[in-house]
Amino acid sequence: MKAILRGLGLALFVAGCGSDASNTGTPWVWDLPGTIPLPRVPEDNPMTVEKVELGRFLFYDKRLSGNQTQSCASCHRQELAFTDGLALAEGSTGQLTPRSSMSLANAGYQASLTWANEVLVRLERQALVPMFGEEPVELGLANLEDELLRRMRDDERYPEMFAAAFPEEEDPITVDSITKALASFQRQLTSFGSKVDRWVEGDRTALNESEQRGLALFFGGANAAGVEDAFECFHCHGGFLYSQSSDDAFQVFDQKFFMNNGLYNLDEDGSYPPGNEGIFDMSGDPADKGKFKPPSLRNVGVTGPYMHDGSLATLDDVIDHYARGGTRTESGPNAGDGFDNPNKSSFLNGFEITEQEREDLKAFLNALTDDDFLNKPAFSDPFPE
Amino acid sequence: MKYRSIVLAALGVGVWGCGDSDQPVSIEFAAKVGDQDFVCGQQYDNLGADDTSLTLSDFRFYVSGLELQDSDGSWVAVTLDQTNFQVDDVALLDFEDGCNNESGNAQTNTRITGTVPQGTYDGLRFGMGVPFERNHENPATAPAPLNLSTLQWDWQGGYKFLRIDSGSFSMEDWRLHLGSTGCNGDPVAGGTTECTTPNVVIVDNLGPFDPDNGTIVANFAALVEGALLDVNQPMTPVGCMAGPGDMDCAPLFGNLGLAFGGDPAPGAQSFFTAR
Repeated sequence: MKAILRGLGLALFVAGCGSDASNTGTPWVWDLPGTIPLPRVPEDNPMTVEKVELGRFLFYDKRLSGNQTQSCASCHRQELAFTDGLALAEGSTGQLTPRSSMSLANAGYQASLTWANEVLVRLERQALVPMFGEEPVELGLANLEDELLRRMRDDERYPEMFAAAFPEEEDPITVDSITKALASFQRQLTSFGSKVDRWVEGDRTALNESEQRGLALFFGGANAAGVEDAFECFHCHGGFLYSQSSDDAFQVFDQKFFMNNGLYNLDEDGSYPPGNEGIFDMSGDPADKGKFKPPSLRNVGVTGPYMHDGSLATLDDVIDHYARGGTRTESGPNAGDGFDNPNKSSFLNGFEITEQEREDLKAFLNALTDDDFLNKPAFSDPFPE
Repeated sequence: MKYRSIVLAALGVGVWGCGDSDQPVSIEFAAKVGDQDFVCGQQYDNLGADDTSLTLSDFRFYVSGLELQDSDGSWVAVTLDQTNFQVDDVALLDFEDGCNNESGNAQTNTRITGTVPQGTYDGLRFGMGVPFERNHENPATAPAPLNLSTLQWDWQGGYKFLRIDSGSFSMEDWRLHLGSTGCNGDPVAGGTTECTTPNVVIVDNLGPFDPDNGTIVANFAALVEGALLDVNQPMTPVGCMAGPGDMDCAPLFGNLGLAFGGDPAPGAQSFFTAR
């Protein structure tokens, strides 16, 4: 497969501008269904086979944490669509982050990165957060950049790989190169091979009847109570990512999107638990309390627990939350009824759902799992055990 | 990016001039805790509204837009020497000496050097912070002193303008990290577009100042005056990470002359004085 990509890449390059391929690396060739646009690639970090390969090693390398106990993959496991199965992610020093690890499936198509951040719009810049962040500590590399680069230089494999990935750089082993390679690896983590994709591409055998009924309900069909668009799912989870928040190479508009889904309501301002209030944490605007990015629902069957704080364990819990139009917390510091959150999206007024509809909806959501993505060798750990 | 920095620096020199009529200037800064000098790793008592004791291990801040006032009352920009601690019109004042090797380093910097046109000067003003363009460039390719990972504030897409730490990374500690918040980005353009709360501290209330003999004093005791340092709002970071919902920040922002949480600044900054 790699050989084919390399071959294609070289052929394209030769046919293209005719310059010396060895000077810039082997151009990446995307393998995407016709229904999916190309992802946006920053001009200063063109995709090459060599960068993706370097990024794959770096992604799985525990030397990318200060105490060498964690790699990116510690919280982003391929078999879980690059999530970790935990409610809250734990950093290399044992500090819990306030958020649940997000899936990296189609990371290159995100209009904004992480659960609630209006500034992180490039994977290269986002990589600096887990590497160097101190509140919370994730990979714990703050003040250790020299040590990190020394580990790379002293490795038997990396000097050659960095040189191949960044052939124009006199000194290719830099923090900038690391973030560019990690971003290149993540940009090609595309996941468009689910049963639902095959259905959308015209294969009428791809979904069984229950999954088809679930699809109809998801996209605005009437429920058993006779209410049209009772579930309202697609308003926030529409589009090719099954998230309204998306970006691609041809997009000319800023499609960042954040909304409040009534998970908490601590007071009359619609507060969420302090320090974890969505984009309010950055903007300070009370109207932003509880506003988070609706995550892509691709592979949602394997990315639980759900919500930004992992507080809903299963898809049934998620459906209960939306059927009620918000979660009520009876007691404790987070007591309050999310149904009444003043910032809540107007789409979330609750609905009636029968057992059959619930099973159909779950069947559809589980049909968004891309088994090839979860098992593709090219995305897996390249280090021998 | 590297080349652009060099070009910008060169332009700066060209625009502001380095001609025969310029004179060198060196502005001294000092970090104090009440009447005592800041010493990295030393414990200080009776701080804040609750007489807390803190062992301080970091004390760094960025200064930009430094200007002197001439005898006519006009403000004149200081053209900074381009060094490891100064790039364009941004300087890092660094009073920690690596006593806490988790976040610091051995080098210190306690003065800003540059040139101004020949003249006599008796006033000084500056901003504590990094200007917007520099603040939101890629720190992985930024020149010194904007390439320190412990002063990067990556989740906010900028730098920590002020970093004062007590201890390292436990809930017993206290820390203040201040930078721009309320920033917005654009996935199409690929960067930060604006910040509603830049949090650059305007320091223009120092009174008469003699650049040759005066010193700008940053006083931690004044910064935390009225603040409860021994208690922390539950479920928020220890101390203040400048989050608009972290009420532990309110008195600190007030002493810096910054608006906080929808409330306007109560007055001018009191962190810096001239002597």
